[in-house]
Amino acid sequence: MTTAALPQVPGTRDPRVSRTSRVTRFAGSPVLRLVVKRLLMAIPIMLGVTVLTFWVLSLIPGNAAQQLLGPEATPEQVAQLEEQLGLNRPGYVRYGEWLRGAVTGDLGRSIVSNQPVSDLLGERLPVTGELVLLAFVVSLVLAVPVALLAAHRPGGVWDRISMVVSTAGLSVANYVLALILVLVFAVQLGVLPAIGFTPLSEGLWPNVRSLILPSAAIGLPLFCFYARFLRGDLVDQMQQEEYVTTARAKGVGSWQVLIRHAFRNSSFGLITVVGLNLGALIGGTVIIEQIFALPGIGQMLLQAINTRDFIMVQAVVVVFALVAVVANLVVDLLYAVLDPRIRYGSR
Amino acid sequence: MAVAETPISVTDHPGVEHEHEEAPARRGRWRRSLGVAVPGGMVALIVAACFLGPVLFDLPSPVGGNILESYLPAFSPGHLLGTDPNGNDILSRLLYGGRASLFIALAVNVLGLVVGGTLGALSGYLGGVVDTVIMRVLDVLIAFPSLVLTLAVAQALGPSMRNTIFALAFFSIPAFARVARSAVLRLREMPFMAAAQLCGTPAWRVLFKHLAPNTAPQLITFGMLGMGIVIIIEGALSFLGLGIPDPAPSWGNMVATGQLSLSATPMLVVWPSLALLVTVLSFNLLGENLRARWSGR
Repeated sequence: MTTAALPQVPGTRDPRVSRTSRVTRFAGSPVLRLVVKRLLMAIPIMLGVTVLTFWVLSLIPGNAAQQLLGPEATPEQVAQLEEQLGLNRPGYVRYGEWLRGAVTGDLGRSIVSNQPVSDLLGERLPVTGELVLLAFVVSLVLAVPVALLAAHRPGGVWDRISMVVSTAGLSVANYVLALILVLVFAVQLGVLPAIGFTPLSEGLWPNVRSLILPSAAIGLPLFCFYARFLRGDLVDQMQQEEYVTTARAKGVGSWQVLIRHAFRNSSFGLITVVGLNLGALIGGTVIIEQIFALPGIGQMLLQAINTRDFIMVQAVVVVFALVAVVANLVVDLLYAVLDPRIRYGSR
Repeated sequence: MAVAETPISVTDHPGVEHEHEEAPARRGRWRRSLGVAVPGGMVALIVAACFLGPVLFDLPSPVGGNILESYLPAFSPGHLLGTDPNGNDILSRLLYGGRASLFIALAVNVLGLVVGGTLGALSGYLGGVVDTVIMRVLDVLIAFPSLVLTLAVAQALGPSMRNTIFALAFFSIPAFARVARSAVLRLREMPFMAAAQLCGTPAWRVLFKHLAPNTAPQLITFGMLGMGIVIIIEGALSFLGLGIPDPAPSWGNMVATGQLSLSATPMLVVWPSLALLVTVLSFNLLGENLRARWSGR
């Protein structure tokens, strides 16, 4: 993928590149240009996502007015509330109004509770953020050592064990894993809470404790995926790259070559995958938050869809899409920071 | 970059190749065909059980059970795996639920393959404006969190099997399009493409007669992995009550019902979970081993 395309020993710099880099570093640095280009590309994507959401939501039969008043409301009452909430206007008018607000940072008010959307997001984003962060920690802390151990001797015992475990792990749905974890650790052993969330204000340990099972349910399948990916990339590096041969010829030990040389290069691939995953991952928290009754953004999304609170749904989708877009941008920037070949504009 | 779009598609395992280099050639070949035959057989067995099982054997109906017979344990007379809270036979629900899962997964992947594959191939082959337009539209779909989209579509159209298929196709189409496009981009530079173009072959003929057969192995292995993914997501939708509507069985809604009495009768969750795991694992192994076989020619 993004592994070393040029057979180059890390640390040496191509002389053709360094001359131009001195000029471009200040004026229009490639990194800056990259950021601007990516940000400009993100605009049509975000617009597309919001238009698509508005359109899909307009297809859902029933609106918030009907949901609020219940099935026994007369058509006149519904019409009156629709008028009051502005739901009787055509979709493009409402979209235009919403967009005007959103661009200036005003995401509107929830149709159902009339609270500002940004307040609700502020309450719930930290929960989901913490969950995702913990899931990443769980998956990466496990995946890196396992992949290194497996790649150290491809086809060896550890390699086979890790491949079997990760193949099985990839086939487990996270909601099934969540229930199994609850069954074992909450019901049978009774060591961890089955549902609920304890905020950080009640202490660090109770807080982390309430998130262990949910983050494991998300993190373990991810661990399998990252371990497989990293192992494959490491084996490729060790077998094909000339810098590995060079390092070995110098008499560097096999673990040293693996960790200090191959892993450094493979980490690029891993970063890409982690970044691309983040968008899917934050979408996947919906079901986990539902199972564990976590007051996060995914739970809010589900509630909002059920009550036809389209302004809320729109806000959540924007957050999800923004996370995906920003994660991709950060990945590209990390490349630039970590890889001198890109930093000096010679891709 | 396109490789990383779909999680499982990136996991190549070169180690398998390496391992075979050392082993005697015959043993390697035997092992490799076993690697395809075993999961392939598993898939065939599961399909046969779900579609032929209820026809060949006299199973109780999956719905409309007697409430007096609820929560029967496994090996009860007439109910091999026992009954659920509504008195429905679990084995029968598993098999009928499997029918729904497999049918949905197949339909979603065929839709993805035909629509997404064509879009991706067109995009890669024609390039230029067509490529830009198609890829930007797909970018939007990819940036859109897939579960949110399926949730919204499922809500919009109401829970039913047909609507679940449409909802899930929304994200299988861009995935297949990505794979097809990158495959076509690679093939476009091949001499046989230049030869076909020099002969004046029309674009549709190049697409269907020259590109389609060459991209088929890649798309089919991707489809195998896609089967597993779709079965899991369909389960998630049904779990949230947005897939197969309730009295009808599905593995997802069986897990959801079982969750309500998880501590008292854990087997209600275990059976559908096991069915999900074994089915998805078989499809994943089949896909991976087919890939290893076709790419290691």
